[in-house]
Amino acid sequence: MLQDILTARKALFATGAHTELRGQNSRNRRVVLLNGDVVGNVRSDVSGISARVYRGGVYGFSSMAEYSAEAAETVLKAATENAAFMDRHAPAGKPDIPPLPLKQYPAQADIEDAAQKIYVEFAREADAYVAKKYPDLVSRRLVTMEDSMEKLIIVSDGTDAHIMAPRAYTYVMMTAQTKEGMPVELFKAFGGKGTFGMNFSDPAKLYPEIDELYERLMQKREGVYADAGEKTVILDGMMTGMLSHEAVGHTVEADLVLGGSVAAHNLNKRVASDLVTLTDFAHTAFGEECPLPVFVDDEGTEATDAPLIENGILTGYMNNRESAQHFGMQPQGNARAWSFSDEPLIRMRNTSIHPGKDKLEDMIASIDDGYYLIDSNNGQADTTGEFMFGVTMGYEIKGGKLGKALLDTTISGVAFDMLKTVDMVSDKVTWCSSGYCGKKQPMPVGMGGPALRCKVKIGGR
Amino acid sequence: MEKKNLLAQEILKEAKAQGADYAQCTVTESEKKEFNVDGGRFSLMRTLFNRNVVITVLKEQRKGTVQINRFDEDAIKTAVADAVAAADSGMPDPAWEFADGPVEESFIDGTPECDTDRLFARTKELLETIQEKHPKILMEQMITEHNGWQSVYMTSKGVTYRKTAGCYSFSLMYSGHEGEKSTSFYGSEVTLKTLDKPVIECGLIERELKMVEDQLDPKPLEGKFTGPVVLAPYALGEIVLWTILGNFASDGCLIDGSSIWKDKLGEQVADPSFTMSFNPYSEDVVISERYTEEGYPTANYDLIRDGKLNCFALSQYGANKTGGKRAANSSSGMTVKSGDKSLEEIIAGIDRGVLVMRFSGGSPSPSGEYSGVAKNSFLIENGKIAGALTETMISGCVPEMLKQIRGISSDTLKDGNGSIPYIAFDGITISGK
Repeated sequence: MLQDILTARKALFATGAHTELRGQNSRNRRVVLLNGDVVGNVRSDVSGISARVYRGGVYGFSSMAEYSAEAAETVLKAATENAAFMDRHAPAGKPDIPPLPLKQYPAQADIEDAAQKIYVEFAREADAYVAKKYPDLVSRRLVTMEDSMEKLIIVSDGTDAHIMAPRAYTYVMMTAQTKEGMPVELFKAFGGKGTFGMNFSDPAKLYPEIDELYERLMQKREGVYADAGEKTVILDGMMTGMLSHEAVGHTVEADLVLGGSVAAHNLNKRVASDLVTLTDFAHTAFGEECPLPVFVDDEGTEATDAPLIENGILTGYMNNRESAQHFGMQPQGNARAWSFSDEPLIRMRNTSIHPGKDKLEDMIASIDDGYYLIDSNNGQADTTGEFMFGVTMGYEIKGGKLGKALLDTTISGVAFDMLKTVDMVSDKVTWCSSGYCGKKQPMPVGMGGPALRCKVKIGGR
Repeated sequence: MEKKNLLAQEILKEAKAQGADYAQCTVTESEKKEFNVDGGRFSLMRTLFNRNVVITVLKEQRKGTVQINRFDEDAIKTAVADAVAAADSGMPDPAWEFADGPVEESFIDGTPECDTDRLFARTKELLETIQEKHPKILMEQMITEHNGWQSVYMTSKGVTYRKTAGCYSFSLMYSGHEGEKSTSFYGSEVTLKTLDKPVIECGLIERELKMVEDQLDPKPLEGKFTGPVVLAPYALGEIVLWTILGNFASDGCLIDGSSIWKDKLGEQVADPSFTMSFNPYSEDVVISERYTEEGYPTANYDLIRDGKLNCFALSQYGANKTGGKRAANSSSGMTVKSGDKSLEEIIAGIDRGVLVMRFSGGSPSPSGEYSGVAKNSFLIENGKIAGALTETMISGCVPEMLKQIRGISSDTLKDGNGSIPYIAFDGITISGK
């Protein structure tokens, strides 16, 4: 656990310049089994200190791979000099960031560190189950991992905090062959916030869902290509989460709004049907703690929810303290950094469309010719809101009933057009938190949502 | 360098004392200077002082790896112990193999020292030139930086490589804007050894800025047809080149047996005009990969030569697992042999098709099938660019595409990491509204 050698360095903060000093330890443990062989067996511990100083509308930043009082002083000096360099050569002439009241967030408990053999043995046991039960697979891959961040955040104004954020996952990937000899694959992530030990006590608890994954892979092996074109579909919760994050969330990050995203011209305008309400939740959603709760961000802002769309109307952006001042909004704790050597960027936390009142089975029954799309392997979106998601698991819907499984395909659309076609919203939210959002730096994020009935373009062959 | 050399020796000594049969480590110290532009204005200057230590040990054919960023004695001892403990927890695998010594070499690559004032001046000049010559372009984000580092790679088999290196890189993310109209965003990147000419003249930056400006009035494509698609270098990499490498020719897919090319060595897998190489020693590469992670010295090689699958991109581990042969480098300096027609001449031969600058699609399946959105793209009609497209999807199958190459351009993207042309393929499914 990081000892607090930083608070005493507040005396070195430049007068009148918003300053952040952050100590951080990032820990990663990872074991990869490929067809039973341990092809990855890695432990990583990366720690250091960074400082960021704001002067006249520009930032200076510096970091050092060392956690010591001397390193803190070095990075404070370098960050202050960098801010002065920028203010001298590229002056923005902006006012100071409005100060926040001084507060201290209670320190969180230390993160338990499991021995590497725990990760190896868990992966081997789960892999042995798959190998024995499903010998017809072309290949199988098991990954056990934990990544955790410990941050000591000391700010000139705002909330000082000592944060612990561990998360742990087991990934199961299976590859089978079609009759024509073509490989098809599926994967599933298990786990969530907390240490590996908190998430995984017994591999057997995963077996029912591993069996379900195999069943779906067998269906996909017999799958058909989607018929290309615009279709009525049901996006299941994981796909809605991807939509919430990629297609809408990024366009309403204030730095991308300033970079010319489609949201710049749509504040307080209708961007979705009445049934759509979207929030970037800080730590609690729908009465429960979020998949990856954020309580204080790296600028010392206490985290609160960021309402983005309310009943179809775009109502807000996600901000850091500087952009909140620019737009006359309140910062809500979205500024987060990945490593000690990274500066805080505007990031989503737990982004989800709110549940509606429809039952999934009624939604399926309502479609005569369409698709039920369940899972995705990646998604990308443009600042115009045009999005694309890879679909790895889905089914035809024919006459209100599920039909054949789909081979890999892609859906696309323009978010603020497509969301206007949403006419049914299920009553159950599904969350996902196993991936990373990429935006200069990676960042763990939660994304979720209910099933939506809507129209999208689907790729075929 | 001497401090890192001594530290590497200490690590190997400690690993041996803790029972490792084999050990290797890389000790790196680096410094980065970086300028950021956000929303068209300077926003940030960064200075990063970094360290990195990666230790890999083998014990009774079991492998463990640890990464830390501290150089102190306690941290090193703990890291070695963790690496040995990780190896102890694994399973024996006789396929792990590392280079034999003695080998001792030192290299200097690129420009190790940063000229900060010049980097800032070139960044400012680039921003101002774009604002003046391409007023419809809004720079969403521009990151310009210099990375300089020294590293020592050392193994217990007597292999030592010392490297001093540095380079400048410019990464631009931008879109076109006019009133409430805007284009899709686009990214241009170059890695440079020196700053001796304006950055807008490097890579394809100037051409790409102009093409994005021309995309402000896109129209959806009507209907669906099968026809030719010209893939610009980034889209070619995304759809074709990385799929060849990741899905058909590298360790993972060959070890697990999912590669559809696993039995095609020496066979014709592409049109004879297609040669794909990894050339770290090309003059188009700023920082050469001098040695592999397993300690072997590198050389240039052809993965596909005149359409024939010449070899696989295997590590020594992958070669031992599959009975294959280790590749001459770790897939660095990607190069596709250019053709003899300009992009304009290739377009002139197409009656109806699409020029795709960027692709936004799902990861191609293990068999190479893909579908996705043709971003920053243009309709080609009667041999000419007929306007920008929106909401257009393309789908195809990479192995089939490689046999339907219509033309390879003489124009190439030389971004400091290799050389990639434009390639036109027949038989792609193109669908619009």
